[in-house]
Amino acid sequence: MRSFADGIDRMWQTLVQMANDQFGSPPFRRLLNTKFTRQRAQHYSIQMAYYVRNRRDCWGYVQGSAPLDVKRLIWEHEQDELIGKKDEGKDDHITLAVKEGAVLGLRAEAFDDTPVLEGGITCFYSWLHLAQRPWLEAIASSAILEIRNSAELIKGGSLSRHIAEKFERELGIPMKKQINNAEHVVMDVEHAHLLMRVARKYATTEAAQTAIIKGARESLIIDRVYRGHLADMLQALP
Amino acid sequence: MSIVSELTATLDQMVNDQFESLEFKHLFSVPLTPERGRFYMIQNALYTANRRDCWGYVQGSAPLEVKRVIWQHESDELVNDPRANMDHYTLTVKQGEVLGLKPDDFEKAEVPAMVRACFYAWHHIAIRSHWLKAYASSHMLERRNNGQIVKGGGMSFRMGKKFENELGINLRKMISLDLHAVADTEHSDNISEMFERYVKTPEDRELVLQGARDCMAIDRAYRGALAYYMERLN
Repeated sequence: MRSFADGIDRMWQTLVQMANDQFGSPPFRRLLNTKFTRQRAQHYSIQMAYYVRNRRDCWGYVQGSAPLDVKRLIWEHEQDELIGKKDEGKDDHITLAVKEGAVLGLRAEAFDDTPVLEGGITCFYSWLHLAQRPWLEAIASSAILEIRNSAELIKGGSLSRHIAEKFERELGIPMKKQINNAEHVVMDVEHAHLLMRVARKYATTEAAQTAIIKGARESLIIDRVYRGHLADMLQALP
Repeated sequence: MSIVSELTATLDQMVNDQFESLEFKHLFSVPLTPERGRFYMIQNALYTANRRDCWGYVQGSAPLEVKRVIWQHESDELVNDPRANMDHYTLTVKQGEVLGLKPDDFEKAEVPAMVRACFYAWHHIAIRSHWLKAYASSHMLERRNNGQIVKGGGMSFRMGKKFENELGINLRKMISLDLHAVADTEHSDNISEMFERYVKTPEDRELVLQGARDCMAIDRAYRGALAYYMERLN
């Protein structure tokens, strides 16, 4: 009979492998192989701000269904995302996205006036659906997206880092001016460990570990679909 | 009278009317004994946990600005209220010490059937409704606890007084009820401010009223259930 620690470690390795595998999938490769122009980068930034808003929706639902101590972890996580840390001079992540947009020549209003990508709407509802599943599946579906964005866990660099390097290489915008991408490159390393902290206490059965894997796997499917839609959008722009 | 002034006047009337309902009168008429007091305290902690569920769900569906207000609200409730130097659930558990309760009594507590039905009903509104309805539903329970709105004092104050009068426990020792008598005045004012920004049309107002009416109905059922179970204890 396998030990609890073995099960948790195996589950964690599976999650990290799944997150790494995203980058070999056709939609991710298509997205990362599409060259950025200024206009493409502007639209990408706006759609990513909608993505960040959807994350806030989903984490709220996950917080609602999770046990009390996990609610507290999520509440802390949402401080960076939703509120920022004013005493450390850190903006919330929506404000960061809007400020980064200015580097690309975007006005703040563009973030409200530009419609959400149709494929984005579909994916956002799908993620909301996962966020309202039983809580272990729900938390895994949200947390896996931060594992996928962890420079520590993804070989070759997280999604934010890949995109930031493309902005630097293809548009000549240095990383330090990409305040939103730069923040996520750092923060998601820390945030990626939230799921493991929760799993050590609550994923004590094979069924619980299976639920975590299921939530993560389904979220990564939606993630691939979403990145495919973003690639389509970019390729349709000059 | 503006649409929001008219709305808040209606909400104020609704929270005052709660205390005239059969269920509330029933609860307040059941004499407290130590065993009934312990039951009430444990149920109050479970109720607090259910509030955290519902506010999380409402945070999920609300606009960004409202999410931030809820996050701030949950800081006191979930993480740390500087007035007590602890979160509200811990405060409720600590309050239990005056009647000999231990943390384990709260951990192992069963949710009685009629209470469970009320908790699921509140969950349902919080998860499945338009955000204004869900928001109003969660807000109303704090408005009903706001001593500046409810004549004669909010629920926590009245319950605290009942413990004082019938069990001889000074209200100051009922640390959770005592704090909520103050905290929910502030919370309900902060949350209520959002109506000024988001209630613009008769349809918006109707969503708030639906949430308020449904929540108050569940609240009456919940208080009636507590009275029912308390009467069966020595």
